[in-house]
Amino acid sequence: MSTICPPPSPAVAKTEIALSGESPLLAATFAYWDNILGPRVRHIWAPKTDQVLLSDGEITFLANHTLNGEILRNAESGAIDVKFFVLSEKGVIIVSLIFDGNWNGDRSTYGLSIILPQTELSFYLPLHRVCVDRLTHIIRKGRIWMHKERQENVQKIVLEGTERMEDQGQSIIPMLTGEVIPVMELLASMKSHSVPEDIDIADTVLNDDDIGDSCHEGFLLNAISSHLQTCGCSVVVGSSAEKVNKIVRTLCLFLTPAERKCSRLCEAESSFKYESGLFVQGLLKDATGSFVLPFRQVMYAPYPTTHIDVDVNTVKQMPPCHEHIYNQRRYMRSELTAFWRATSEEDMAQDTIIYTDESFTPDLNIFQDVLHRDTLVKAFLDQVFHLKPGLSLRSTFLAQFLLILHRKALTLIKYIEDDTQKGKKPFKSLRNLKIDLDLTAEGDLNIIMALAEKIKPGLHSFIFGRPFYTSVQERDVLMTF
Amino acid sequence: MISAPDVVAFTKEDEYEEEPYNEPALPEEYSVPLFPYASQGANPWSKLSGAKFSRDFILISEFSEQVGPQPLLTIPNDTKVFGTFDLNYFSLRIMSVDYQASFVGHPPGSAYPKLNFVEDSKVVLGDSKEGAFAYVHHLTLYDLEARGFVRPFCMAYISADQHKIMQQFQELSAEFSKASECLKMGNRKAFAGELEKKLKDLDYTRTVLHTETEIQKKANDKGFYSSQAIEKANELANVEKSIIEHQDLLRQIRSYPRQKTKIPDLQPGDTEHTQDQADQVSTTSNPEESANADLYTCRPAYTPKLIKAKSTKCFDKKLKTLEELCDTEYFTQTLAQLSHIEHMFRGDLCYLLTSQIDRVLRKQQPITNFLFEDFVEVDDRMEKQENVPSQPSQDRLPPKPVEECPIPKVLISVGSYKSSVESVLIKMEQELGDEEYTGVEATEARSFDPQENLDYLDMDMKGSISSGESIEVLGTEKSASVLSKSDSQASLTVPLSPHVVRSKAVSHRTISEDSIEVLSTCPSEALIPDDFKASYPSAINEEEAYADNEGAIHFQASAGSPEPDETQEGNLENIPSQIDSSCCIGKESEGHLVPLPTPAYTLSDEDSVVSIPPQRYIQKDQGLHVDFGVENTDPSPRDNSCEMFPAYELDPSCLLASRDVSKMSLDNYSDTTSYMGSAASTSSDRIPSAPPAGLSSERHKKRAGQNALKFIRQYPFAHPAIYSLLSGRTLVVLGEDETIVRKLVTALSIFVPNYGCYAKPVKHWISSPLHIMDFQKWKLIGLQRVASPANVGTLHTLSRYSRYTSILDLDSKTLRCPLYRGTLVPRLADHRTQIKRGSTYYLHVQSMLTQLCSKAFLYTFCHHLHLPAHSEETQEAVASRQTSFLKLNLGLVNEDIRVVQYLAELLKLHYMQESPGTTHPLLRFDYVPSFLYKI
Repeated sequence: MSTICPPPSPAVAKTEIALSGESPLLAATFAYWDNILGPRVRHIWAPKTDQVLLSDGEITFLANHTLNGEILRNAESGAIDVKFFVLSEKGVIIVSLIFDGNWNGDRSTYGLSIILPQTELSFYLPLHRVCVDRLTHIIRKGRIWMHKERQENVQKIVLEGTERMEDQGQSIIPMLTGEVIPVMELLASMKSHSVPEDIDIADTVLNDDDIGDSCHEGFLLNAISSHLQTCGCSVVVGSSAEKVNKIVRTLCLFLTPAERKCSRLCEAESSFKYESGLFVQGLLKDATGSFVLPFRQVMYAPYPTTHIDVDVNTVKQMPPCHEHIYNQRRYMRSELTAFWRATSEEDMAQDTIIYTDESFTPDLNIFQDVLHRDTLVKAFLDQVFHLKPGLSLRSTFLAQFLLILHRKALTLIKYIEDDTQKGKKPFKSLRNLKIDLDLTAEGDLNIIMALAEKIKPGLHSFIFGRPFYTSVQERDVLMTF
Repeated sequence: MISAPDVVAFTKEDEYEEEPYNEPALPEEYSVPLFPYASQGANPWSKLSGAKFSRDFILISEFSEQVGPQPLLTIPNDTKVFGTFDLNYFSLRIMSVDYQASFVGHPPGSAYPKLNFVEDSKVVLGDSKEGAFAYVHHLTLYDLEARGFVRPFCMAYISADQHKIMQQFQELSAEFSKASECLKMGNRKAFAGELEKKLKDLDYTRTVLHTETEIQKKANDKGFYSSQAIEKANELANVEKSIIEHQDLLRQIRSYPRQKTKIPDLQPGDTEHTQDQADQVSTTSNPEESANADLYTCRPAYTPKLIKAKSTKCFDKKLKTLEELCDTEYFTQTLAQLSHIEHMFRGDLCYLLTSQIDRVLRKQQPITNFLFEDFVEVDDRMEKQENVPSQPSQDRLPPKPVEECPIPKVLISVGSYKSSVESVLIKMEQELGDEEYTGVEATEARSFDPQENLDYLDMDMKGSISSGESIEVLGTEKSASVLSKSDSQASLTVPLSPHVVRSKAVSHRTISEDSIEVLSTCPSEALIPDDFKASYPSAINEEEAYADNEGAIHFQASAGSPEPDETQEGNLENIPSQIDSSCCIGKESEGHLVPLPTPAYTLSDEDSVVSIPPQRYIQKDQGLHVDFGVENTDPSPRDNSCEMFPAYELDPSCLLASRDVSKMSLDNYSDTTSYMGSAASTSSDRIPSAPPAGLSSERHKKRAGQNALKFIRQYPFAHPAIYSLLSGRTLVVLGEDETIVRKLVTALSIFVPNYGCYAKPVKHWISSPLHIMDFQKWKLIGLQRVASPANVGTLHTLSRYSRYTSILDLDSKTLRCPLYRGTLVPRLADHRTQIKRGSTYYLHVQSMLTQLCSKAFLYTFCHHLHLPAHSEETQEAVASRQTSFLKLNLGLVNEDIRVVQYLAELLKLHYMQESPGTTHPLLRFDYVPSFLYKI
């Protein structure tokens, strides 16, 4: 990385974060566009390391860089735009979230960025969506915070006749810190425990001589079926790291290589925190034999989740995509509204914010039993163990199975596309679709729809209409057509 | 399970009521939409319609030192594509990113200007209001007349789908890097050439000035210098300085770090030459010497001119166009590469993603791919696409990779130019053999379509016009470039067109030679096993009975020449017996290789009504055993037979068959007997139909799917017809109208399992008499019905062979084939299906066939199924176990079992081949009763 850099902006505050394990993140920055001085850096977060890979001057240079050209910003109101840089000359990649906000009485442009070495490009790209989603949400809250700060300050200026402009906007930093640190921790944990792109089938349940050798047949069927029905998004909890990881690897066999790189194995000694947005993650129970899932984060995951407990062989799943997204959006709106209405800093603390909103009561019973049986996974599991283990036969058979699923998903998308003239007309004939595409089993349809949702986001909401109906109700309605 | 802080507070019952409005509501700009897709029409497709452009395109922009950021050209060059989208504004936005972190120009403390080889930057950004998102690839080109010698450019892939850009980031980055390297390579060459010219000019100017100074010195007898002399001396000193500066620049550009040349798969010639050049530079200790050495050898045609000595930092007001900066050929190649990128990433992200996943998954199952996948073709095509820029011309010809794209000969004369930088062109041409060279030339010629270049001209012109205030300046530049391009096009097209013709002829001849080779080494007759040969003439005899009938299917060796029959009789020993006797009288052989034991299988309703009465030979077929041993194949008659048949009568597949004739087998269990044999055909136009051009193209799929859909809706007996194809029984589509027959054959071909990777066993149209061996090679045949009184005979002949074939008569709308009572085909081809489009139906068929392949794979490789559980287990017990497995584990009923068994046979044979793709066709005889279906 080049050392020729302009001097840093004066008085840039810096937070050094001690992380356990290797951090692939070089720094995170918060910069703003000063109408007189141009891009300026407000705050730097950097992992505490002995070896300084990027000096503060370089970080400042790069952070300023992210706002270059943003004087021309032409965005929709409230938009949070993502910019992504690969600067080979500097050997870094930068992910910037650019947004407008009110500060110092003026509307200005801001950029929250994370900086990684260019060598981590392939490591980072599968995690891009996770990072961006999480930073986007904290920015939504941060903007409200800044807005409220401005109002309060204006009132104070009027009342006290004093200027406190220097302090303004400062209080967004702790809020951002509250999300930047977890993102750094997430990346550090992924660096050490992410599932490899290529999984050896020998490390999975599918290598057993017969079904039921490692785990109960019904449990395995439920786990894989539900995992596929929830778009490949699962949490595996248990007391034994080895057992958990075996199931994690097994479930990851049904994911694409990029999705595997966005999955995490269980740590042997201590448990990781649940991370919203990962596809499969293994989590270790504590000494009391329990694991607490944060409701908010589970809701904020982009897809519904399957909860698998390998100790008691239970499989629970969240409602399908359209219901999940609807609930998620309602939760987000409630959280932001509560934040908007909060009157004190204490009220605005992240964990207590939801208490203040008395109008919204989400359904806590988000994990339910797997109701819909499928024939696809059942047939696969019935058949795959007939093939001799230890050879590549099972891998080939698995690849065939996945190919069938993907082709069915594509056919389904195309079918709906034709039927609705690319969304111009409502979709009416779910029954026909099920018959025509041989998806009459409810579980089969769920699996294929979930797969289709990943490659064509919004398909569930489009087909099942008003999302607060349960899918079953909705389908009953559709079946009458 | 759920953490306490998150859940404790939720106690209210009114779950889905909106929040009360007694407090200030959250402004929408701080909130999130309740329905993510509601804002743009509430459907997953509408999010792409927010943009002002109709589809993705590529924009090349420049940060001009004269007019600022400006769009140069778009790919495709069609105003309809970008519509009302403001290219000027977007250029400003994407070029305003200060990506250039390194210093370029004259650094403080340095004696001479310094060139920095800046690495490309890649940025993804967007304009959410306009709904436009872009992958932007920034690069810097060198221009002697530009400020700091650099000209910043960028190539942007603009799409309305941000996720598409991020999800395809690495692929986009790799493809654009190729385009960028191509531009930069051309630019370095052009820059070095420019420097050389400038050095020559300076050298000439120095000589002139020196002479003038000397003259003035001599003329000066006053003992002091006149002001004119001083001026001349200063001018001379400036020229000297300028020469040193330029030489230094030349040295720098020549010493471009080799490791930075990132074009993958650079041709060896290129690499070597680049290496040579670099070595030359490194071994030349004195840059001046090296510069001089090149200076006077590289461009002998260049006539130096007197120039006004000035600093290299000055720049001319007329900036070079991108084409001038990069050399025409590199520029053209870059455009081809960009066009390829546009083509490669065109369309909906979901199709891109699934095709990528599809490809990865297919690569993991090489064993079954040959059955129904266009694996080889698709992969070749995709790999080519990855490496190969598509040609932007409308008459798109097979593209060539950028790095493999040779430079048109006419553009660079071998003798006239020797580059000082990357003279890859010359090296390539020198190393090419005559034949390769011809082929290369043809490709070159194809790739340089004049229309295509004109298109680029248009792009260029439009790009400049759309740049607002810079119209005048650029217009002037473009008009100059138009001329130069026009010249080059003229020189391109005229001399190259003959090469195209010549090369086509050459390639055709090459194929013919291959055929001759086949003929000489692999005589078709020799491939027929002796035992089978006995049956061979019987077909002729059988045919003789109907020889008078024009419409009859003639079972003779060669339709056009009866003489070979006699020759055959002379050469082959066992010819005269009848086909039926050959089928019936065979040596019982226990030793022959049975690819897969076929379980005992009997139609339960043998006594059902059979529309076509059983043939008189059927009784003889019971308990038939034929020895298909190859040991008796005598090499000498093979040679003789080789002489007997012209090359075009031979089937390339016979070469494959000849390797492993011993694998021919015969299954004869119960009254359902399958015969599988291998032989070659001798009749004309019997070469397995090569896949039609662009077989796996979307259009082909769409058409095939559409016609298949029509077929299953129109013909109630579509199921048994498809069953015939899936179970390996040849289906003859008989009809008068070639178009209709071809259409249906194409449609039905999607159900035909492949033998190998080379071609589908489908003959779209045949008008010459059929031979029995045709049923071995082709599983789907379009047969012409001759409109004549002999027509009756045709039907009769076909009925005689209905034991081998199913016959679909398009004219009388009838089908004669075995009964089908399974459940698999109805799911595959339901006439009540609501699938509307052919392409969707094709996808449906593809997924169903993949399911079928999976079952066949499992059945084939299920280790405990095919081996006796213990030494005393009988074959019947094994067969029973297999049937039970097929029924219980695979859920197959009735005739579906035969489909999976047939596919399993093919799989096993294919798996046992030493080299994939060499599976030879099987000849199957299915002695099962046929039914006549009518509409």
